[in-house]
Amino acid sequence: MNWKRLSRAIEISAFLLPFAAFWVLFRLVPVLYGFFISLYKWDLLGDARFIGLRNYVNLGRDPRFWNALGVTLEFAAIAIPLIVGIGLLLALFIFGGRRRRWAAAAEAGFFFPYLLTVSVVGLIWRWMLDPDFGIVLLVLRGWGLPAPVFLNEPRWAIPAIAFATAWWLSGYRMVLFRAALEDIPEEFYEAARIDGASGARMFFSITLPLLKPAVLFALVLTTISGFIVFGQVLIMTAGGPGRVSEVLALYLYRFGFEYLEMGQAAAVGVVLFLIILGLTLVTFRWLGYGSSL
Amino acid sequence: MEWWENVGRGAPVSRRALLKAAAVTAALVTASPGRLSSIMAQGVTTLDYYTLFHSGDAAAMERIVRAFNGEHRTVRLNLLQGQWAEYYAQLFAAVGSGNAPQIGICHSSRVMDVYRALTPLEESRAGNLLEIAGIREPMYTKNVWDSGVYQGKRYLVPLDSHMFGMWYNKDLFRQAGLDPDKPPETRDDFERAAEAIKTRTGRFAFHPAEDALPRKLRRGWEIFFWGQGGSLLTPDGRRAAFNEDRGVRALDYLAGIVQRRGWNTPGTDGFKQFAAGQLGMLLAGNWYLPTAKSAGVNFGFHYVPKFFDRPTTWGDSHNLVIPRQRPDRASNEVLVEAIKAIKWINERSEAWGIYGGHIPAFLPAQRSKDLLESDSWKLALNKFTDMANRGYVHYPLTHEKAPQVHAAIEPHIQEAYNGRITPRDALVRAEAEVNRVLAG
Repeated sequence: MNWKRLSRAIEISAFLLPFAAFWVLFRLVPVLYGFFISLYKWDLLGDARFIGLRNYVNLGRDPRFWNALGVTLEFAAIAIPLIVGIGLLLALFIFGGRRRRWAAAAEAGFFFPYLLTVSVVGLIWRWMLDPDFGIVLLVLRGWGLPAPVFLNEPRWAIPAIAFATAWWLSGYRMVLFRAALEDIPEEFYEAARIDGASGARMFFSITLPLLKPAVLFALVLTTISGFIVFGQVLIMTAGGPGRVSEVLALYLYRFGFEYLEMGQAAAVGVVLFLIILGLTLVTFRWLGYGSSL
Repeated sequence: MEWWENVGRGAPVSRRALLKAAAVTAALVTASPGRLSSIMAQGVTTLDYYTLFHSGDAAAMERIVRAFNGEHRTVRLNLLQGQWAEYYAQLFAAVGSGNAPQIGICHSSRVMDVYRALTPLEESRAGNLLEIAGIREPMYTKNVWDSGVYQGKRYLVPLDSHMFGMWYNKDLFRQAGLDPDKPPETRDDFERAAEAIKTRTGRFAFHPAEDALPRKLRRGWEIFFWGQGGSLLTPDGRRAAFNEDRGVRALDYLAGIVQRRGWNTPGTDGFKQFAAGQLGMLLAGNWYLPTAKSAGVNFGFHYVPKFFDRPTTWGDSHNLVIPRQRPDRASNEVLVEAIKAIKWINERSEAWGIYGGHIPAFLPAQRSKDLLESDSWKLALNKFTDMANRGYVHYPLTHEKAPQVHAAIEPHIQEAYNGRITPRDALVRAEAEVNRVLAG
């Protein structure tokens, strides 16, 4: 290697080093440490005892774990398409009216919930869905519609949390999609129009394929959000009614910090990590690596 | 020109300068003796004080801490009050990471699973802290004092007793044709009152469990269960013992309130209903007193009615504790200041009764003129104290795995309350889960 190339490599490394150091310290090390802890019986306050894979075996035997896994999958199946879908619809809506005066205000309004913390989001929706004084139920009752106690009904608890999550997170996806829409050359649409293409045809043949990088990014981001959902569940239902909304992250939290079974909690973390990694790789594969940003 | 003056001016930073900067940073980091310097900075010792109080009693504790800080020049309490449900998790995490507060709160019922995070007060590295501060048994309510020892070591200094009682709306009682000065004490009277409120006022008649969180529903069930002499676990603590006729009867009664009798509906919050004047009777703790007073409801307070064989209520006690401290972060002097602060808080705990609605465990405070002449005493605390003295109070399960046992029971109680499963099925499922927890 000549001196110039070596110098260039050092320069690049120097720029990367600060980020890499923090990434290793605060991301990689905790992940590896989490896997390490999952091999021990450790209660945070005393000595740890190596027990091999027993924490994973215990997980496999615990019906509560399987319930939490099922609930997490249910939440992800509802929330991920909802968040990405609403984000895309909002982006198309804003993009369609981009030369109108209201567009900027509407975009700011749609984005606003994303600025809130999860605890605020959880509290807002818990109050809005309150069976005694919540505005949502009052309105539904006022219109003579059935008004289930959303957060206390097994059938509604997860969809209600998913909807609140979509309200919170869709704004950011909207911004992503809107930026990607701006990048699509107008000439493509002009050519399509000359060829007599319909709006739907243009959407499916031009817009959607060219949005692939943004869709991939949004999907990966939302998959992660969907599987590590925690705060809004803790605040809105605390996993109830019964265990209908006890997601994996809540299960992890309870075993780790309420029952002090840190090893078992870490094992759940590893399982979650593997699920998210697997789904991310599948998403890349499905949309094609070429669509990576 | 010093090396740092070059920084940011476009001048190149020499290797020597970078090494100097690294050395200075390293020296600063290694020279810092943890948080010891921040605890005892500039002649003022700052003691972190974590609690699990919220709403009315949190405001009362703030008042006490403000008074402490106003009276002391060299010691300062830094109060951090958190969510009840997350408190122990935060305490364990703080102790585990070596950042424990110097003062904390612990329920009597939790001593068996929390003690490892606490300092044994008579055998601390600073000596016998109780002796140092002059904290002695005769100063405290006996049963609460006795609850603060585990495996022969004392970890807790009593702060209060608290329990569930029955709050009722006097205006709704009148509208229902009931005598607001004669609240029900027997099950028959209670059921007649509930029916009258339901049919004559159109409001909710009764809520058995505060805000209906799973742990509150479990407490409601426990009141009915313990009232029949039931016990959650076998005497050796190794198996569930609640899946029997008394347990089923208790759960059937709890679920019947919303499923058959129509006195309320599942999922509702009794706190809010009562504060809004929409609820006739509510089983809730004494900590509800500040909220009930501020809500402007014309309320009364009475003992929990005798629902089954004996009058029983759910109760527990808050205690002041010194979480386990790392020697490099809290010196012996800090431990001494912490125990002195604990004693001071107890000596002013009549305010804990007057403003927080709890019964002070420190007897001089419990008998103080200020407390006995206060509204809080006349409105509710006298009845709460009566319940304690009459032996109505039943402490929750004390067991190393109490949190897991409770967590194994609560979802099934809630499911039965919501009408999703029968009381029998709920207890079968809860029993299986509890036994799994105890066997693990």
